[in-house]
Amino acid sequence: MERTALRLEGLEASVGDLEILKGVDMSLPYGEVHAIMGPNGSGKSTLCHVLTGKSGYRVSGSVLMDGLALAGMAVDERARAGLLQAFQYPVEVPGLGLGVLMEEAADSLGITEEEAGARIASEARRFGMEPFLDRAVNRDLSGGEKKRSEIFQMAVLAPKVVVLDEIDSGLDIDTVREVAQAVSEMRSDGTAVLMITHYSRILDYVKPDRVHIMIGGRIVDSGGPELADELEEGGYDAVRSRLGLAVHATPRPESKVSDLFTDTPFDFD
Amino acid sequence: MPGSSPYATVPRLDRAEPEWLAALRRHGFEAWSRASMPGPGNEDWKYVDLDFTLDDFSPAAEPSDPLGGDEYLEHLEGACARVTLVDGFLVSSEGGEVEVGGVLDIPDGRIAPRYGAAAPPGIDIFTAANHAFGPAGAAVLIPAGRAVSAPVVVEVQAVADGAVSFPHLTVIGGPDSEGSVVVVYRSAPGAEVLVSPILEVLADQNARLSVSVVQHLEDSARMVAHHQYVAERDATVRIDEIGLGGRYTRQRLGVALAGQGSSVKMGGIYFGDGSQVLDYRVYVTHRGPRTTSNIFLKGAVTDAARAVWTGLMRIEKQAVGTSAFETNRNLVLSDRAKVHSVPNLEILTDDLQCGHGSSSGPLDEDHLYYSMSRGIPRRRAERLLVRSFFDEILSDLAVPRLAVPSRRAVAAKFTGAQQRADS
Repeated sequence: MERTALRLEGLEASVGDLEILKGVDMSLPYGEVHAIMGPNGSGKSTLCHVLTGKSGYRVSGSVLMDGLALAGMAVDERARAGLLQAFQYPVEVPGLGLGVLMEEAADSLGITEEEAGARIASEARRFGMEPFLDRAVNRDLSGGEKKRSEIFQMAVLAPKVVVLDEIDSGLDIDTVREVAQAVSEMRSDGTAVLMITHYSRILDYVKPDRVHIMIGGRIVDSGGPELADELEEGGYDAVRSRLGLAVHATPRPESKVSDLFTDTPFDFD
Repeated sequence: MPGSSPYATVPRLDRAEPEWLAALRRHGFEAWSRASMPGPGNEDWKYVDLDFTLDDFSPAAEPSDPLGGDEYLEHLEGACARVTLVDGFLVSSEGGEVEVGGVLDIPDGRIAPRYGAAAPPGIDIFTAANHAFGPAGAAVLIPAGRAVSAPVVVEVQAVADGAVSFPHLTVIGGPDSEGSVVVVYRSAPGAEVLVSPILEVLADQNARLSVSVVQHLEDSARMVAHHQYVAERDATVRIDEIGLGGRYTRQRLGVALAGQGSSVKMGGIYFGDGSQVLDYRVYVTHRGPRTTSNIFLKGAVTDAARAVWTGLMRIEKQAVGTSAFETNRNLVLSDRAKVHSVPNLEILTDDLQCGHGSSSGPLDEDHLYYSMSRGIPRRRAERLLVRSFFDEILSDLAVPRLAVPSRRAVAAKFTGAQQRADS
């Protein structure tokens, strides 16, 4: 029986006077990979931030994870409830070893010390992260190594829902394949995976169960993996004209959103 | 001041001492007679306004009963020699490969000409008072050519309530010797004490000497310390600083790279909570050619604590081929806490590599967010990041055994501050 891991209903989000998400509905079952694709400025990153609990947004509508309402929960509470994210640009944290971070996180998530040790060891072996465990998180890592580290962390902490924000950006083809393989394995293990992505390249290696196209802060179309192929062929304009949406219907705001709150910069793409 | 102060009644000046010590005492007394309490108007004392004077304390006339064990000392089993000073007085010493004892017990010629020379009384009233009124000091001598792996442990205790103590310790690493010394400052719980120590460390030609200073005085204690290091030709000095306790604790920390090719590497941490003031004044003088200094201190303040760090690196004209770097990083963990971090360079030569850096600010929100995104609650993430901040220093101590109690002490202080902030 299909069980819903994540359900979004009428999800809206704004920053100041700027509405970014204008009512997003979707449902992600366990053991499925869904891709959210959209052009620059469609609200993909905002969706990621809102799902994971980043502050700075005014949010309405509902997000249910396994029936639990996430509204008002901070990022760490959502993580403990079982929702984890892999960052597009993970920060370097000087002095904090990756192994120590995983031990502390596992303990916060209620994973026993013994189990955590075993998972860290086996996943580090699997992702080639052994040399990085004693080094500071993300310090002096290449773009590909950082993404690998993010996926490694997801594998150790084994959440119910994984949100991958542009996990394939900046990766060479070998690393894309490796990441795709890991995502497929998470799906086989029953994890629900939401991939937010610009390009369909990674989808050549991990076949999504559903593809959702986001334009102007709404999901305008959902379908099987063939939707990604249509995008590959004709770009977002082809989707817009098929759906009767004005081409370039979402003019960029005059001021960049990031200007509105300089203390929490984010990517508006 | 003499006559009206408690010092006039201390009959030290006329007791039987060898002439070399009596002469030092006379110079100290003269300097003390001319000196006055420093204020923030003095460049060396900027940013602090002392709430006490020397006259508020009476010089200890004899040592109190020593304190029992403590957390740091438990981690320092297996020392190659031990020295204990209580209220400034040498009460026990136990040597072996390294010679330790009172300066009056060491035959003239080995200590006498050097004792007190590195920390002259003219520096300030506290140093002058130490010379004038302090008991004869203690010495640690690592013989020429000897390499000792276990550390010498020196305990400096301040016990008598209301007393000022004047410990004086001289450490000499003989030519081609190698060794390490741990100096632990501690005080009796609740005792209102002032500790005004002199620590002189003399690294002779080609000596490799490490000194770790652990200051974990009780919060009722104050300290105004004068630590001076001198490195002769090709000597290597390593200094580790751990500053945790005290209500007001100051260290004037001077390093003279006197001989060509000498070097110093200093690493340290300090953590202030409550209303503590931690005051570090670092002076590094490059005198010899091709001398190297690398100074890296990291500190944190929370509650209404304050920290001062000033670092003056002076590169003299003849110190060609010098490499001099100093860095001070601070975490300011509450709105009421404050840091003054002031690096300075005085360069009289043009053949050198040098740099300095200083920063003070709260924990990085992006680092916190990243840690929290893995499920770690905010307060725990803060503790993790504070531990990580200091681990850059604590994972690289000359005496690695000092790391465990230091981590524990920092964690206890920070957790306490978090609880106070939340209540």
